[in-house]
Amino acid sequence: MPEKKKRRSFNVVDEYFGEIEEWAERMDETLAQKPSWNLKDCTMEPLREINMTATEVVVTVDLPLTEESAVQVRPTDNSLEISAKMRRKLHLHELGISYHRGEIQKFHCHIRIPVPVNMDRMSIKYKKGMLEVHMPRKR
Amino acid sequence: MSEDVKIVEETKVPSGATLIFGFPDVGLVGLIAASHLVDELRLTEVAYVDSTLLPPLIVLHEGLPHSSMRIFANHDILLAVSEVPIPTDMIYPIMDALIEWGRSKSVKMMISLSGIPIQDRQDATELKAFAAASSPEALKTAKDSGVEVLMEGYMVGPQAVVLQRASKYGSPALALLAQCFYNYPDPEAAAEVLKSLVKVTGVKVDVAKLLEKGEEVRLRARDVMKRTQQEMSKMKKGQEYDIPMYVS
Repeated sequence: MPEKKKRRSFNVVDEYFGEIEEWAERMDETLAQKPSWNLKDCTMEPLREINMTATEVVVTVDLPLTEESAVQVRPTDNSLEISAKMRRKLHLHELGISYHRGEIQKFHCHIRIPVPVNMDRMSIKYKKGMLEVHMPRKR
Repeated sequence: MSEDVKIVEETKVPSGATLIFGFPDVGLVGLIAASHLVDELRLTEVAYVDSTLLPPLIVLHEGLPHSSMRIFANHDILLAVSEVPIPTDMIYPIMDALIEWGRSKSVKMMISLSGIPIQDRQDATELKAFAAASSPEALKTAKDSGVEVLMEGYMVGPQAVVLQRASKYGSPALALLAQCFYNYPDPEAAAEVLKSLVKVTGVKVDVAKLLEKGEEVRLRARDVMKRTQQEMSKMKKGQEYDIPMYVS
């Protein structure tokens, strides 16, 4: 490929990735603008993280004030639905929110798994309110 | 002091104290530890940071406005705390102003409380704390107190600026870092870093209450953690995981 044309292609790729980064930042900011709690169904979104290795996808979810027996993990084709009832109801004023009345009773979230995994070989660990779900990647 | 950042004193500020920094960072270790210090040592607000560089944000307490970045004190401790993450672009001007202010108060040492993220944190039964210092003398203080030294690695964030500037000015400074979660509030790590603060300074702090209410702290801290994650990604905090290549 001629040098000039090659450089132009690199610029297009750079611009493309630049746009994706900007879009991701905007999305991040937009998503952060809504509260992390929902009074209609008395839920709060937990903090969570997805890590991928060559062999598995590991999802961790922070579920303070819960017991292992109250945690439910429902796999679907490419996502996990996680819910966990808290040991006690939390009034919003306990969280420093005084302009709303309501209570939070459980954590709830959907987590999309970005690569194909074997959900039927999923394994779950729970320790001190931290949930860890291991899913082997499909080969 | 930078004209863009002012430290406004509300009452008499003691001289010759230890200046401690507790800012939102990995695992919110510094912020959680600082919040516990304010409660345990019954520190009172003596000054706040006023800057047009910061987002237009105040913290309301009992209907009244407070700066999100305040300095609490007793007779021998000054504690700078931020309740929201410092925007990445503002870290240098804010830290420069705080360090300069601290030097004007003849602080005997500056200590940043923070964390060092580890993989498989949830499986760790005992957490370790490490120290890095601005000078060989400050490092000796940490070693003599029984705090392990962080021998090699990268440091990103306010604590990096403190060590860098303190080294330049010849002021003693330490960064105390407890092993922690990267993305989750970690009260156990905050307790660990406070134990190393006790070793280094001799200040009396009981961490039992902090550990007891750990789950509630994690719950209350989740939104600050989320905001902090965004800033950490902007400042490329993940670089601390990198294998160092020190050129000697």
